[in-house]
Amino acid sequence: MKKRGMDTEQLIQSLTRDVPAVRRHTVSRRIALGLVGGGAITTVLVAVLLGIRPDLHLAMQGYSFWLKWIYTIALGISAVIGVARLARPDDGSFGWLWLAAAPVLLLVGVCTAELAATPMRHWPHMWLGHSWMVCSWTVLGLSLPIFIGLLWSFRWLAPTRLRAAGATAGLAAGALAAAIYCLHCPETSALFVLTWYTLGIVLTTALGALVGPKLLRW
Amino acid sequence: MRESEEQLQAWMIGGLDGDAAAQAALLRALVPLLRSFYRRRLRGGEDDIEDLVQETLIAIHTRRATYDRERPFTAWLYAIARYRLIDHLRRRRILVPIENLEDILVTEGFEAASSARLDVDRLLASLSPKQARAIRDTHIDGLSVAEAASGAQIGESDVKVSVHRGLKALAALIRSNP
Repeated sequence: MKKRGMDTEQLIQSLTRDVPAVRRHTVSRRIALGLVGGGAITTVLVAVLLGIRPDLHLAMQGYSFWLKWIYTIALGISAVIGVARLARPDDGSFGWLWLAAAPVLLLVGVCTAELAATPMRHWPHMWLGHSWMVCSWTVLGLSLPIFIGLLWSFRWLAPTRLRAAGATAGLAAGALAAAIYCLHCPETSALFVLTWYTLGIVLTTALGALVGPKLLRW
Repeated sequence: MRESEEQLQAWMIGGLDGDAAAQAALLRALVPLLRSFYRRRLRGGEDDIEDLVQETLIAIHTRRATYDRERPFTAWLYAIARYRLIDHLRRRRILVPIENLEDILVTEGFEAASSARLDVDRLLASLSPKQARAIRDTHIDGLSVAEAASGAQIGESDVKVSVHRGLKALAALIRSNP
């Protein structure tokens, strides 16, 4: 009892020998750093391995490019808000999930309108496009640098719901990787995006949920 | 002596602003809180409890950036303490239904700790001041016998005897009104 009491006091003394000030918003800054670092690597991977689509400036004037971007970026932002919540030990609010549902519902609406305006014989092509076999897997692969960036951010943070934190980090990484993938991907139909982009993002979310409890432990 | 939420939060914010004395005062004040938190939840020995207290102090210190100044301090504190406890139980491979465990732990908090303290205070008030102080020092605040003796300016054997007689009296008291 005597010796242990001393140890705890010694521990406190050694911990508080140097107490640097902590700036406000350190949690957000740490997460932003992980995202930017991972996002930069993913962007380089897209540019080098896949190539930026040559008609990007033209595509950026069209609505389908912006539809993809708004969908993936809105999903990414809401997931990043969730990551910031789950990075604190005492914040269990899941209100951001409603925010994440909004872009999905919006895209479902656009799909319905597109399908209604298109003859049924074109539907299979709208759904499968040219790249359905690779799209989801590419999103999963491209999400890894961003996911690793977020794992790095979490090293200084204190998540207590590890599976939820892992899944949310996966969701953020998948959605933002998909947004960067838009720089390459020439697909234009909303149904394609809703199916294959979303599947890729779901895969990264599942991966995050799977590895979260192991990799986020502290 | 248990500090109020306001005092703990003030120290915490002082530490975040770089005040080492405030940070040290905070960590010292948390030691008895954490000891009784883990003691009430863990059947393990004092070694386990003290390990957990120290791990939690380290976590509180190194992850203090995750405390949001606008939110209650004790909620943040016990969220970390609970996480360390669950992690400890998992490491020991003690088979506990984790989901239920979290539910049980979440509902308890500062209020529970405070009301348990009130019970203890009430019981100790029935003893002589010397016995009450000896028990409080050695069994609640976690001092060693030597520390308690020099604090109360009595001999070590006097502390031990006071603790022994005091605990016996408390046991009799609890048995007589269950």
